[in-house]
Amino acid sequence: MEMRRVSGWFTLKGKSINSIAYSFHRLTGMVLLLYLIAHLSFLTSLRIGEETYTAFISTTVRPETLPLDSLLFLATFYHAFNGLRVVLNEFGLLYEVRKALIYVMTLLALIFWLYSTYMMYVFVTGW
Amino acid sequence: MSMEVIKHDIVIIGAGLAGLRAAIAAAEKSREVSIALISKTYPIRCHSVCAEGGTAAVLREDEGDSFDLHAWDTIKGADFLADQDAVEFFVREIPKEILRLDNWGCPWSRREDGRIAQRAFGGQSFNRTVFAADRTGFHEVHTLYERSLMYPNIVRYDEYFVTNLFIEDNAVKGVSAIQLKTGDLVFFNAKAVILATGGAGRLYGFTTYSHQVTGDGLAIAYRAGVPLKDMEFVQFHPTGLIPSGILMTEACRGEGGYLRNRDGERFMARYAPERMELAPRDVVARAMWTEIIEGRGFEGPYGPYIALDLTHLGEEKIEERLPLIRDAARKFAGIDPVEEPIPVKPVAHYTMGGVHTNMWTETPVRGLYAAGEVAAVSIHGANRLGSNSTAECLVFGRVAGEKAVEYVTGKSFAEITKEEMLAEEKRLFDEILGKSGDENPYEIKKELNETMDKHFWIFKTGEEMKEGVKKIQELKRKYENIEIVDKKKGFNTDLMQAMEIGFMLDLAEVVAVGAYTRTESRGAHYRLDYPKRDDENWLKHTLAYYTPEGPKLDYIPVTITRWQPVERKY
Amino acid sequence: MEREVLFRIRRFDGEKEYWQDFRFTARKGMTVLEGLYFIKESLDGSLAFRASCRMGVCGSCAVKVNGKPRLACETQIFDVGDVLEIEPLDNMPVLKDLVVDMDGFFRKHEAVKPYLIRKDDDYKNPKELLQTPKELHAYYDFSLCIKCGACYSACPASATRSDYLGPAAITAAYRFCMDSRDEGKEERLGLVSGSDGVWRCHFNAECSEVCPKSVEPAKAMQKMRLMSAIHMIKSIFR
Ligand SMILES: Cc1cc2nc3c(=O)[nH]c(=O)nc-3n(C[C@H](O)[C@H](O)[C@H](O)COP(=O)(O)OP(=O)(O)OC[C@H]3O[C@@H](n4cnc5c(N)ncnc54)[C@H](O)[C@@H]3O)c2cc1C
Ligand code: HEM
Ligand code: SF4
Ligand code: FES
Repeated sequence: MEMRRVSGWFTLKGKSINSIAYSFHRLTGMVLLLYLIAHLSFLTSLRIGEETYTAFISTTVRPETLPLDSLLFLATFYHAFNGLRVVLNEFGLLYEVRKALIYVMTLLALIFWLYSTYMMYVFVTGW
Repeated sequence: MSMEVIKHDIVIIGAGLAGLRAAIAAAEKSREVSIALISKTYPIRCHSVCAEGGTAAVLREDEGDSFDLHAWDTIKGADFLADQDAVEFFVREIPKEILRLDNWGCPWSRREDGRIAQRAFGGQSFNRTVFAADRTGFHEVHTLYERSLMYPNIVRYDEYFVTNLFIEDNAVKGVSAIQLKTGDLVFFNAKAVILATGGAGRLYGFTTYSHQVTGDGLAIAYRAGVPLKDMEFVQFHPTGLIPSGILMTEACRGEGGYLRNRDGERFMARYAPERMELAPRDVVARAMWTEIIEGRGFEGPYGPYIALDLTHLGEEKIEERLPLIRDAARKFAGIDPVEEPIPVKPVAHYTMGGVHTNMWTETPVRGLYAAGEVAAVSIHGANRLGSNSTAECLVFGRVAGEKAVEYVTGKSFAEITKEEMLAEEKRLFDEILGKSGDENPYEIKKELNETMDKHFWIFKTGEEMKEGVKKIQELKRKYENIEIVDKKKGFNTDLMQAMEIGFMLDLAEVVAVGAYTRTESRGAHYRLDYPKRDDENWLKHTLAYYTPEGPKLDYIPVTITRWQPVERKY
Repeated sequence: MEREVLFRIRRFDGEKEYWQDFRFTARKGMTVLEGLYFIKESLDGSLAFRASCRMGVCGSCAVKVNGKPRLACETQIFDVGDVLEIEPLDNMPVLKDLVVDMDGFFRKHEAVKPYLIRKDDDYKNPKELLQTPKELHAYYDFSLCIKCGACYSACPASATRSDYLGPAAITAAYRFCMDSRDEGKEERLGLVSGSDGVWRCHFNAECSEVCPKSVEPAKAMQKMRLMSAIHMIKSIFR
């Protein structure tokens, strides 16, 4: 077995909404993975000392990074809802309405994302 | 140049219905013999997958069908040129083949009670055509192909283009082929060879055939000295879709469809009052062509046509019984048969003639067998009945496979000599590929198609045919001077197609000369200058032998057992 | 109606790959396959592509048209537009121009035992097996696969794993498992439950999107997964 074209994961020319959802899921999965690694390293820094952690945190939790956090939430919600869709479909459920399901899940992700961004905004700006 | 020699007890050329069936039969007969199955396309890309309507078999004697009835329909349909011993054998064998396919997974259409369903077909006086929707050939081929995977002694050579046959002392000893992927010339040394390469429908331009049906096996055998039988009989199917020629199966009429002229009239009432649209193909095709000639056809952008009207059948029945027809009419003509009639006209459809064999598929050359459309056993005579041809492939494919095993048992190989190999290599790569000339082979093919469509169509005259023969001979001379553009080895389809065109030119000449010489009208062969059947002089098979100057004709009697020729009325 | 069109074809002559443009006048109703034949017969005889039936049943002619795998013979030029980018299928080695090596694809199909398995198989004395129209419909649509490879070309799982059986092969396995005449389900489930089988699928579902025969390979795959899961759980308790 050789590795062939990883680019096949992200080729969208001539593809349908299914492939877009798929590529996006993969992308967000990777983003989440990276975030998780970063997140865990931050937490690990607690072992070095409280100051290191606070220093780290203060560079990342700021109003300026809010858009990044928001994007992260978008990724999370998309990944979670779309993941739910994949799980459903992979059990052979709702196959016939699979495209509609993509739209529904994406919509749900967007709603949750908007709400969460709003909440974060409130939290960070201390409104 | 590497020259590989591969040894197999039996080599089967062609993996359509006939070739696949032969391979399975041989493997069932003996697990010891090694069987090569060679084809220029992957097996499931063969032409047989296009067969739509069905396969005739007597399954319900309790409901009134009988072997004698099927035999009689076939013989009458053949305008009495069929060998009756072969027909009798054939009708008795086919039911078992249907059941075998059932046991191997073929998704036959069913009755409510789960038994195999049957439908009406032209010239068959009982509803005896077994079918799998309107994709019968497709499902049959896939079923046979899948079944063939179970036998370890069937070795497949997919996409090998056979170029020649080697015969010594009137016994076959092998074949040569180009492996398309690499472009290498390969030799197969064999004790027996079964030809199953299908017909020659692409001689015509307006045809139902796949692009690959170029009569290679016929031409290769002919050039090697094996006679071709009854090649002047070419069937025209009444209903080819305009403009592509894609077949609108006879099952359309079997399921109750009508043919109408521009006045909306079901004109078949005037030609075959009893059988109407379900008269045999030659009768219906001639009726349609007469309507067109006499100005009662519809006018369309591609010339006059006749309407095949299914609208009264209703969407449900069309979806259930004729889904492919609906799909094809929509995709290729932009017409939904549920709503509008389909524009059709007669189209070249079947090669009744073929390599001369007896009823055991044996050719005059020892160890060389032929089955399927490439062979003329002959059960179709001057006109094949719809759904008898897939049946023929199954029955006689089996016979060929079994006969070949019997023949090779205890035999030894006769080697293909070095000289023969070098000569073939020189012929292919120096004389054909290496040649430089100024003719485009595809232009020649186009002209050949036009000639056949014009001079050897449904109604023929001596005058026109004479001109046609001349034209073909001219094209043959032109062909000497072709140039193949692609000089590379791997997957050289340019070389392959140029060779196919060469094969077709030889075959066209056989068809033309045979038709010109036969001064009568019988079955699909209809001459305006000799409009009557002439049993006194012409109740006989034509045999054509190759000579460099053109075909040499000979005749042999037809086997008549229980059914004397009578006038053919429907 | 006639119009000039541009065929941009990705070519490969065994050594180098390049794009070549062909311009010609197409007429209404002309298919991509007819366009390719026109090019081969009138403009450049060396162009290689596969085709046979020209009516969408033999599965020879699948190519990518503007990125999407389709049957050339079933695709009208004017339905695509005036510029057609034509490429060989993905995920299979290109042999020449639009011809890809499908041997591996067929080996995978063979690997799932795509034939009826019955204990009472009797070659000499076949007998009529009963199957009601309802039982027939349970698998019929899945038996319509023409092995064109379009799904395999579109599948991202096939793109990265050359040993993955792929949509067409697994659909074939499912088709036989669902046949009321078959007795080989367990055997076949063993074959598709391995690391090269159903669990490689990520439900990208593009296969169903491109399938010219509406076979719905993605559906067969998910149904097969469920069967496979049950089969695996059962086999733990055996
Ligand atoms: C559109 C259509 C519909 C039909 N419908 C029906 C029907 O409903 N009922 C019915 O009974 N009959 C029908 N027929 C007729 C029937 O389909 C054919 O007669 C039959 O399928 C021929 O099968 P075969 O095995 O002889 O050849 P084919 O299926 O043509 O197979 C030929 C094989 O030979 C191989 N081959 C050819 N040349 C070479 C070479 N040089 N080297 C290597 N391999 C080669 C090919 O690759 C192929 O595998 C229909 C025909 C057409 C055109
Ligand atoms: C509610 C939470 C989550 C759900 C429902 C979910 C669901 C899924 C599903 C079903 C898949 C498989 C997709 C496929 O078959 O292609 C998947 C893949 C993946 N997930 Fe999640 N996931 C969740 C959270 C996370 C988190 C927190 C991470 C970060 C570490 C993550 C990272 C990944 C990665 C890297 C992949 C592989 C990408 C792929 O296969 O396309 N997921 N997820
Ligand atoms: S499932 Fe569809 S796309 Fe895939 S090979 Fe079969 S017919 Fe082609
Ligand atoms: S040529 Fe047969 S499917 Fe297109």
